[in-house]
Amino acid sequence: MATKEEILKGLSDSVVEYNEDGVKEWSNKALEEKVDPLEAIMDGLAHGMQIVGDLYERNEYFVPEVLMCADALYAGLDILRPHVPQEQSGKMKGQVVIGSIQGDVHDIGKNLVKMMFDVAGFEVYDLGRDVPLENFVKEQLRTDSEIVAMSAMMTTTMLGMKKVIKMIKEKNPNVMIMLGGAPVTRDVSTLFGADGYAESAGNAVTEGIKMIGRLREVEGKNR
Amino acid sequence: MAEMTPKERVLSLLKREPIDTMPFFSGMGMVVMPGIKKAGLKFPQVHTDPNKMAQSAIWSAKLMDFDCVVIPYDMCMESEAMGNKISLYEDSEDILYPTIPNKQWKTMDEVVVPKNIMELGRMPLVPKAIEIIKKEAPEYPVGCWVLGPFTQTGQVLELDMILKAVFKQKSQVEAQLDKMTEMAIIEGQAFQAAGCDYITLREPGVAADLLSPKTFKEMIKPRLTRILEAWKSPKILHICGSCDPLVEMMADCGADAITVDIKTSIADARKKLGDDVLIFGNLDTYNMTCKPETPKEMVVEEIKKTIDNGVDAVMPGCDLWPDIKEENMLACVQTTHEYGKKPSPAGKRL
Repeated sequence: MATKEEILKGLSDSVVEYNEDGVKEWSNKALEEKVDPLEAIMDGLAHGMQIVGDLYERNEYFVPEVLMCADALYAGLDILRPHVPQEQSGKMKGQVVIGSIQGDVHDIGKNLVKMMFDVAGFEVYDLGRDVPLENFVKEQLRTDSEIVAMSAMMTTTMLGMKKVIKMIKEKNPNVMIMLGGAPVTRDVSTLFGADGYAESAGNAVTEGIKMIGRLREVEGKNR
Repeated sequence: MAEMTPKERVLSLLKREPIDTMPFFSGMGMVVMPGIKKAGLKFPQVHTDPNKMAQSAIWSAKLMDFDCVVIPYDMCMESEAMGNKISLYEDSEDILYPTIPNKQWKTMDEVVVPKNIMELGRMPLVPKAIEIIKKEAPEYPVGCWVLGPFTQTGQVLELDMILKAVFKQKSQVEAQLDKMTEMAIIEGQAFQAAGCDYITLREPGVAADLLSPKTFKEMIKPRLTRILEAWKSPKILHICGSCDPLVEMMADCGADAITVDIKTSIADARKKLGDDVLIFGNLDTYNMTCKPETPKEMVVEEIKKTIDNGVDAVMPGCDLWPDIKEENMLACVQTTHEYGKKPSPAGKRL
């Protein structure tokens, strides 16, 4: 018998230690012991990822460690997410279109931001990488998503974002747009008319994780 | 004292000989839209033909008063020569550099560098373009660059797999990096044999916002050192991203100069390395050279500040984004030439 606190700590620690097997074990234990799966996700897995974010900010962890922790988190999410009751996950419901922009074949930052949405229980439409500009617009219209998140790692591809934002805002001014990627600064993001922002593969880590923190707060209040 | 040619200025600086004023040059791409247009070309055309590459490079230097001509432009040549297909985005109206959309290999063990790599794909284009530039614009130094082994690995295999493998499959990563190291040596030597005047080893994928300084020290630094040892001088080492914890190790790799971008503090690097190391950098290649809203006066002040921080040459922190704001680009070069007449920490004046 493990207590709820032990299980949440086990989940969190295993994410921090990028221990996929450990995460799976604790996730199954959470289900056996009837721990609320959403609580296990938020206060176990996501809590661990927040610690990972701190370690990254303190230069104790670097991108390889963060990627391994993300794999561990997903191992738990795959087990726990199907057990979150429909009405509960509906609370956080939202849809997001995400992708790396045409000319950019990098997707590490994009995938870390995607993880944040997956944790939150969003419906994620991942267009992948090297995505032609008009595809963001089409997919937003098709899915009626509230959020469009785009990333560009190279200076040479970031200017394309401006066009997408204009195209989307013309058709649907209420869509929230998030930008991320190594060369995109907050200034640039403001200039282009975007609403949200994550600065780099590195900062996507911290931004994404900070968002997880905010989601946990909201989720905590709702429970 | 007669004014030096760009070639004399850059090569003398790299040899630590006195120069007339600070050059504005780069180890990375310097091709800009005004040069491409003047050569009668469109962006996707400059990557595949030696004459078009040479003409766009020469015109970029001439129109903007750069102190160098730099080729090639894209980071996919080697990967393409190894058998990967590239996207040239010929139908796009935007400026998009070639990319490798899908990589043929899934694991490190599969990667093979053909012995005749310099004869494959677009690789022969560079020596031909060097020859044209030297003949038609002999007053300019020709700079070439080669990707470092880690960054090159990211062009051949999926980067997230490699990053995780740094921990999980260390010996395979080391073997993979060795293959890329040998290739970089061969490539750089071929460019030097073709007449390139200075060469830059650029390894943007290893800065401290991506890999730990420990990994840099153990896996990357020995290989950068091996490549630089195998190349002739003058040779430059460039790493973009956060290099504050790396600058001492960078200076220890055997290059004649190091360059960094805006994420690294020049003033701190200068303090750590003293006045005997050539440090170039760290011009912001969006805000200073492209952003339409940036006033010229701000650019002038920024260049002066960069020089006061202790660079020996103002150098773009990355490839110049080709869609420059001409007025600001010219102001960068002009301010460097004027404000750089005084000696720099490691650069003497005539």
